[in-house]
Amino acid sequence: MTENRVFLQPAYILQQRDYRESSLIVEAFTRDFGRLSLLAKGVRKAKSKSQGLLQPFIPLRLSYLGKAELKTLTDVELAEPFQPLTGLALYCGFYLNELIEAFLHKDDPHPELFADYCQCLADLRQGGPLEAVLRNFELNLIEKSGYGLQLAYDMQHGKPVDPSKKYHLGAELSPVEATEGIYTGKSLLAIQARNFGDPDVLAEAKSLLRHVLDQLLHGKPLNSRKVLNEIIKRL
Amino acid sequence: MRDTGLLGRLIQHLRCLPGVGPKTAQRMAFHLLQKDREGARALAETLLQAIDRIGQCSRCRTLTEKPLCDICADPARDKSAVCIVENPSDVWIIEQATVFRGLYFVLHGRLSPLDGIGPGELGLDQLERQLATNGIKELVLATNSTVEGEATAFFIGELAHKHHVQASRIAHGVPMGGELEFIDSGTLLHAFNGRRTI
Ligand SMILES: [Zn+2]
Repeated sequence: MTENRVFLQPAYILQQRDYRESSLIVEAFTRDFGRLSLLAKGVRKAKSKSQGLLQPFIPLRLSYLGKAELKTLTDVELAEPFQPLTGLALYCGFYLNELIEAFLHKDDPHPELFADYCQCLADLRQGGPLEAVLRNFELNLIEKSGYGLQLAYDMQHGKPVDPSKKYHLGAELSPVEATEGIYTGKSLLAIQARNFGDPDVLAEAKSLLRHVLDQLLHGKPLNSRKVLNEIIKRL
Repeated sequence: MRDTGLLGRLIQHLRCLPGVGPKTAQRMAFHLLQKDREGARALAETLLQAIDRIGQCSRCRTLTEKPLCDICADPARDKSAVCIVENPSDVWIIEQATVFRGLYFVLHGRLSPLDGIGPGELGLDQLERQLATNGIKELVLATNSTVEGEATAFFIGELAHKHHVQASRIAHGVPMGGELEFIDSGTLLHAFNGRRTI
């Protein structure tokens, strides 16, 4: 039997949990093979060099083998020097990781989204505006995990979205003109164009994307969103 | 061999201990029953008493059988300095290895957003009340050097600033006697980022 061996695959750790006395199970997001689970044997021993590296938000190169649901990690290297995420940006990082776990199926490659994720972490490290960085990634995730979101056309009325009208989101998660709608046409078009400079647009984007994500997750709660809100409330 | 009687149950329950697999559990069970029945009875009785009586200190949340643990009750301890740790075992380790003479606060975990563990689960409301009223002047953040440990330290540091309490993070990095050649790149990077002027 030939074993599937992968060498030095660019990856980030999304989450890790202890396994038995000295091992870890890590959820990784790899560039070419998508999300996968890896068993890291013996890395929790005092002399292990890998444990310090097997943490979220560190650019890594992973080598592993196996075809099954749980693959075996054989080597881990630091891909490049990096600035650690700190403060609020770090909490946002946890939220990104949970989104990826919730939206991507295992072993389903998403190289473009991997690039978006790297860019998003870079923006967070450089102190980019957190809300806009998160909204941008949420849009990328929705689009690239196969759902797609079009906010520029009212299908029900067969008309392009008018910046001066109001809309709500219909069952298909697309805009429908309504006098008591909660989204302005102007904001929908700005969100579609990823223009988050205006605070009103940003606020509407937050509520709209929250609604869309919740619909797509069928009510499955996002733990990190709850924790993030608790943290912000107390600071 | 699958023994579903008392012996089998004993072996099964011994496996709840960390590092104890089926083989070790079997050896332990036979040892207790064949060679040390006296010790086994003492162990069982002590275990029951410990479970019944050991709870959390009302001030620092460490494990104790009293309302206030020995450290918190000691009048010689400096009540203006509080060291934040993830686990009660960390208190023991710091007590044995350092000259810290302040008090502790035990989180029983760390911020873990993906697992839904936030400030409420770690007793941070209680810590904040202490910061507001207990005359604390300094917090020492001794959470682990993991991403979640850092996230926890940052948040508690912010709480401290809010209450005008000075907070410091313990240094992480190159171990004593450690040669750079043998240190993993993650640790070295951490040590580099945490460098200080001399
Ligand atoms: Zn105490």
